[in-house]
Amino acid sequence: MVDDLISTICPYCGVGCGINLKVNELGQLKSVEPQSNHPISQGKLCDKGWSTAYAVTNKNRLTQPLKRIKNEFFPISWDEALSTIAVELNQILDDSGPKSIGIISSARATNEDNYAAQKFTRTVLKSNNIDHCARICHSPTVAGLKQSLGSGAMTNSASEIFDTDLIMVFGADPTENHSILGGHIMQAHLKGCELVVVDPRKTRLAKLANIHLQLNLGSNIALVNAMLHVIIKEKWYDENFINERCNGFKYLAQHVAQLTPVSVEAITGLKAVDIYQAAKHYSQAKRAMIFYGMGITQYMSGTNNVISLANLALICGHIGKNGTGVNPLRGQNNVQGACDMGCLPNVYPGYQSVIDTNIQTKFSNAWQCDLDPLEGLTSMGMTKAALAGDLHALILFGEDPVVTDPDQNHVKASLKKLDLFVVAELSMTETAKLADIILPAASFAEKDGTFTNCERRVQLVNQALEPLGVAMGDWQWLQALAKKMGSDQLNWKTSEDVFNEMTSLNPSYEAMTYQKLAKNHGLQWPCNNENPTGTRLLHANTFPIGKARLISVNHTDIDEPTDDEYPLSLTTNRLHFHYGCGSMTRNSPLLERETPPGILFINPENANTLNIAHLDAIGVKSRRGYIETRAIITGDVPIGLVSMPYHFKEAPSNQLTNTAQDPVTKMPELKACAVSVIPLPKGVEPKSIQQLLEGD
Amino acid sequence: MNIYLLDDIKKLQLHLTYQYQLHQIVKNNQGQSHWQQISTDQFPTLLHEKAQTSIKDFFFAQQENILVFNGEYFQETLPSPNPFVLFGVQSCDLVAVNYQDKFFKNDPYYQARRKHCLLVGLDCISPCEHGFCPTVNAGPGVRSHTADLILHPLVNQPLEKPQWLLIEGSEKGAMAIKHMTIKGQPLETAHWHYLTQRDLTLKACKQKFSDDSHINIAIEKINNNNVSAVFWQKVAIQCIGCSGCTSLCPTCSCYGTRSIKLPNDNISQERFWDSCLYEGFQKEASFHNPTAEAGKRVERFWRHKFSDGIATEFDRYGCVGCGRCEQTCPGVIGVHSIMKRIANDA
Repeated sequence: MVDDLISTICPYCGVGCGINLKVNELGQLKSVEPQSNHPISQGKLCDKGWSTAYAVTNKNRLTQPLKRIKNEFFPISWDEALSTIAVELNQILDDSGPKSIGIISSARATNEDNYAAQKFTRTVLKSNNIDHCARICHSPTVAGLKQSLGSGAMTNSASEIFDTDLIMVFGADPTENHSILGGHIMQAHLKGCELVVVDPRKTRLAKLANIHLQLNLGSNIALVNAMLHVIIKEKWYDENFINERCNGFKYLAQHVAQLTPVSVEAITGLKAVDIYQAAKHYSQAKRAMIFYGMGITQYMSGTNNVISLANLALICGHIGKNGTGVNPLRGQNNVQGACDMGCLPNVYPGYQSVIDTNIQTKFSNAWQCDLDPLEGLTSMGMTKAALAGDLHALILFGEDPVVTDPDQNHVKASLKKLDLFVVAELSMTETAKLADIILPAASFAEKDGTFTNCERRVQLVNQALEPLGVAMGDWQWLQALAKKMGSDQLNWKTSEDVFNEMTSLNPSYEAMTYQKLAKNHGLQWPCNNENPTGTRLLHANTFPIGKARLISVNHTDIDEPTDDEYPLSLTTNRLHFHYGCGSMTRNSPLLERETPPGILFINPENANTLNIAHLDAIGVKSRRGYIETRAIITGDVPIGLVSMPYHFKEAPSNQLTNTAQDPVTKMPELKACAVSVIPLPKGVEPKSIQQLLEGD
Repeated sequence: MNIYLLDDIKKLQLHLTYQYQLHQIVKNNQGQSHWQQISTDQFPTLLHEKAQTSIKDFFFAQQENILVFNGEYFQETLPSPNPFVLFGVQSCDLVAVNYQDKFFKNDPYYQARRKHCLLVGLDCISPCEHGFCPTVNAGPGVRSHTADLILHPLVNQPLEKPQWLLIEGSEKGAMAIKHMTIKGQPLETAHWHYLTQRDLTLKACKQKFSDDSHINIAIEKINNNNVSAVFWQKVAIQCIGCSGCTSLCPTCSCYGTRSIKLPNDNISQERFWDSCLYEGFQKEASFHNPTAEAGKRVERFWRHKFSDGIATEFDRYGCVGCGRCEQTCPGVIGVHSIMKRIANDA
């Protein structure tokens, strides 16, 4: 029986669906329902959204601060926890300087929390050592689109899916990872919109598509360059648009002049005629939208992959208009916001460079303190610095890098080397288990604030429940910690105060207020005095850099090809049942029941050769590690390719994945490495990684 | 059963609050209709709009503890709610509760809540979005055996002077208003010709529903086994297993259970809404699964809504025509979408 219905935003992916929390007279969350009039989700939720109550109210939630003594955790008060952290941080600052401390904030926390985290880093710790998980999802988007277009976000909006003639989904599996948006694509396709899917796996959308280009792992640039070749050769490009809005066409045309579809058949594994057809359909469509995901970004060539998609859209003039654009599908509810808030080592809020002296002065005046003039460490940089003994303390919230970052053993070793490791979390994650102090975080249902979805829509999150136990919102404990360290830099009474300070420094958010967000179902940035009701469509008349840049890029091979010892390629994927490290979704008895705890998708032919039956226990080995899991035999993966979801701490794919990095953004090549698969003896259960490591 | 004329609906609401906790459909600040407990005597206006969530969770809780095992014996944890009234329930939801009453006939948890509830139905006098209750014999007028009291808004009344028919639907309903007075006077009995007027209004409402011949054509195809396995497989690609349809469907009643260890080492048995569209729903411990294929699951779901077999068991189809699944299905295979495809393509 519902006593109250609180409208808020779903805490899962970057689509940002409207969700209502049903709270009973005892203040308990009983269930949820979709918001029927939400501009994006229109009365729909995916299975993760529907199971939100399990994630928030589960019995594994942390309710008080914990301190590690040897290998056990003991409850302590907030005062003791924060005092301990403050004393140690001050000591480390005195001994080793600001560079020896890092903060990893959370793409799952609110904008207010993230703004506070970067301000804490910059004004209290006095460095730019702040980063978050965008490093391993869309840092190449920010870097690539910034170079090509001048702004690293989705150029268009979700609603335009119903307003376009062709949708090209590139290295993304939206019905699994962004289900509601994936549903919109299905709906548009059923109404006649052409659908082109580029993916090594037969995704759900690939099964429905007009054209499915089932390319080899890591051959995106070769494919796009060949498409550019066709479009230029056949004069299917938009000459006016190129002349008026782009630089570099001549060089690009020269660059791809020899890159015929036939010349890339071997690299891509595609037939020249299919590449030709895809180029024709995309370029000839009146309006065409590109959506892309991790299949573009999680490569050593991630930034160049993004640039090549921008090239494709630009020469066809499929940008800056309704129903077009280059649209990254962002993974987490607030990964766009965490980037916008400046939780990145090179930029302040609003992507304002930390090494630009004018901007430094602006922030230094606003915050009334001196600021570090140098860029900080990325999250991978922090891991490396910790291993080298240069980073002594790390504060991390709402992330589980032990399960989600590449090379688990490397991550664990580095975290163990820290003198002080603080984790704020909802529940005991694999990462939290390594912490010295764990702080109980408030869930999204327990706080006010804002999330920014992947179409740049800033939406209000409304508190429905009291925090569990003594759990606290992130900006609140960061503020308390700053005070303990003797700083008054963080000094807000409400989330709205934090938001208002942020909007005064972030030009894209300038004209936003909580009242306006409430009235408009959120607002899309840029929202400033010129666009007081926000901006649905970017780059309509000009690019932030004036003319867009067509940048010639080359195909690069994946770092670790198969060989006799490791004859199969491994890629990673996600399941719609689960989210990230599974710390929220795996509390749902329904979602948890859907699969065994860890699976590997394998083609029937490979399974047959290896004598593996459906759901058999198997071992998977790469140069970096070994795990055990169960086989799912399916034609959805081609011969020679196996695929593994990364949600399961028992069988973490990052024991296997490669750490080779994109030179620009340090994005690891999570999408491709070489493995061998062996069947385990009949009747043997797969061992979890914890059991396997203890057995060593 | 008696019929009365009522000028002021607030009088009825107030009268019922003497005996019952009042729940009514209200709109939240985002304009969404939902059931809410009304704890003031500032009664909200009666809304002619179905709530997004049906009333089934008043009886069949989305998550509840059903047993505690303390190491020696099991103890049922039966709910004991105060008497409550659901005021202004649309016919589709009432027909669904009637259906659920049969399914949960011997379920002590459902019945413990159900017996404390008074249902006040509200006739729909205009069609709602996606609704097609007349086609499946579930509306727009409230079926007399499904509600304790029925409210019918009389048309042709001036806006500022609305008038209602109050119809007794059950003994329980009659008892609930037995001692109701207005300004010291008993309720005004209505002449039977008002019932004729009600019939005409409901008939006119039925005429206003948009063409849904695809529903009948598809029902026939389903029952004549004219829908191929290949067709089901094809449409099932679009099912992302969100559980939205089964959560919002007022007649879906599948549940699962799990044991949870309590801090005091007792074991609590919890039951929760399940969905037959989850792959794990019929999966056995050995991994054997009769509905491992998505096509089989989607087919099974729709057969439960429209097959003659179900109609024999429950005296009606499993679908009450509320259309909630059409709105909530991200895969575009809600009731109208799928029935159109069956009618046209299968």
